[in-house]
Amino acid sequence: MPLLKAEGVTAGYGDMEILRDVDLEVGAAEIVSLIGPNGAGKSTLMKTIFGLLTPKSGTITYRDKPIHGRKPHEIVTLGLCYVPQVANVFVTLTVEENLDMGGYLLTAREIPERRERVYEFFPKLRERRRQRAGKMSGGERQMVAMGSALMLQPDLLLLDEPSAGLSPKLVDEIFANILRINAAGPAVLMVEQNAKKSLEVADRGYVLASGENRFDGTGQELLKDPDVARLYLGG
Amino acid sequence: MSVPESSGKGPQLPADQRRVGEHVRAVIRTRGFLIGLLAVVLAGMYVAGLMSGASAQRLLSLTMWGLMLGGVIALGSIGLSLVYGVMKFPNFSHGALVTLGAYVALSMMALLPQGEPLRPFSFGYEFLVALLIAMPVVGAVAVGIDRVVYRRLRRAGAHLVLFAMASLAMAFFVRSMIYLIWGPDFHFYFPGRANPALYLPFGVRIRADQLFILVLGFVLVGAVYCLLEWTRMGKAMRASADNPDLAQVRGINTERVIAWTWMLGGGLAAAGGVMYGLSSQLRPEMGFWLLLPMFAATIMGGIGNPYGAFVAALIIGVAHQVSTSFLNPTYGPAVAFVLMVVTLLIRPQGLFGRTEG
Repeated sequence: MPLLKAEGVTAGYGDMEILRDVDLEVGAAEIVSLIGPNGAGKSTLMKTIFGLLTPKSGTITYRDKPIHGRKPHEIVTLGLCYVPQVANVFVTLTVEENLDMGGYLLTAREIPERRERVYEFFPKLRERRRQRAGKMSGGERQMVAMGSALMLQPDLLLLDEPSAGLSPKLVDEIFANILRINAAGPAVLMVEQNAKKSLEVADRGYVLASGENRFDGTGQELLKDPDVARLYLGG
Repeated sequence: MSVPESSGKGPQLPADQRRVGEHVRAVIRTRGFLIGLLAVVLAGMYVAGLMSGASAQRLLSLTMWGLMLGGVIALGSIGLSLVYGVMKFPNFSHGALVTLGAYVALSMMALLPQGEPLRPFSFGYEFLVALLIAMPVVGAVAVGIDRVVYRRLRRAGAHLVLFAMASLAMAFFVRSMIYLIWGPDFHFYFPGRANPALYLPFGVRIRADQLFILVLGFVLVGAVYCLLEWTRMGKAMRASADNPDLAQVRGINTERVIAWTWMLGGGLAAAGGVMYGLSSQLRPEMGFWLLLPMFAATIMGGIGNPYGAFVAALIIGVAHQVSTSFLNPTYGPAVAFVLMVVTLLIRPQGLFGRTEG
């Protein structure tokens, strides 16, 4: 049984349709990468899954329960967490307060223990815990954002372009972190510009173009596919 | 820090001289410069007061009264700033909530048995009970208005201007209801009851009631600080003000945060109204006249920043009172505006506004 299943999803903003009839599945503990050119609708699909947009048609189920049309603050209670591409930390809050907000649904007793686990995962955040997130670098903010999402110990983590705008060295670090997170349990669905690198770490991948499914398969299959390579991996 | 653009036009100055000009402009926009300038303006007011023959004792008393007035303004402007932070619109009906609080307390006192005055104050226990009842009542009215008016606008994705206009309409609506229920006449909480001034050290003369207002203002502001910094709902309010979409993604029910923001803002406005009513008298326009210094304090402190609003409200309150030592008191409200305009010209984001972004 797949953890997350989207079938025939059509969605967009106002009258503008960005996704047409898109299908996608994520199994438990899998890493799934969603790639495709700019404007393909990758981020729109993530937002639709997380309830920031309501699909015009199609169904999205999580553990066989329909979640389309529900609000983000309800969806997060089910065990999936989302890290948006931009504005993914509370800039006026400290690192520790950001983590506390990540654990907003937890009881006051659970929070310190979960926070401790996140600090073990990202030791740098412990050093910076009193710092305002707005004063941090892009790579550090990404850590705060991922750490906040991990507070609920989700079964599925949605990452929207986790490596966007980071230096090559930091990009490698982000992918290493994604593998570490996945090894600890949760499945990961990520949107990536860095298509090659993300397929290398992914179990499976989907190629989206002009809002429609174009290719899918295991990460290795997609990397070896000459059409995918020519069109979407830059040669 | 935004670097001012150098215009290519105008007289050609030598490069280093132009640099100096840019540097000066950058310095003028810093927080330190604005604080310095406000300090100079305040000091100038004290000097002007002394030169018009006011004694040092009188100026000290005026300062105390100014802090009291500032405390009342602060209770309104903190709510204004919170509402702006979470919902991003200027709530023009905040003054009407202040008035409503004062009148609700008046009605409560009429229902309660009248006790002996708690000397040295002019009021009895029934006043304190009425204050404690008026706060949640006005908070609930604010939540109710939100449910009926603003929530519909939010669901329709209405433009900011519509929210502001709707709040203006609600200001007139609430004020009309006050006229309808309590009439246009002045009211006093304790008609004819004396509250002689206390003689404090350094020749300060202040009534016990004023001292109570001052202390209560600070206590409530301290309580708001603890709420915002330490409680789950307070942090959720700050998070929602910072980034409402992310707040939802983290599981925060933003509608609940909005309801609590109105509850808190309405309750503080009511406390401000009751205190203002105790220090002078109740009239249907009282909140409307407070709205202006409240907005001035909100803008001066950095809109959306409740702590900034508190500091700015104290500055405005003191400036307002001290200016009466050399100006006709009728000009009082203008003082708040001069300070607000100076802030907008020099540092539009206010004393504690964020520089970046």
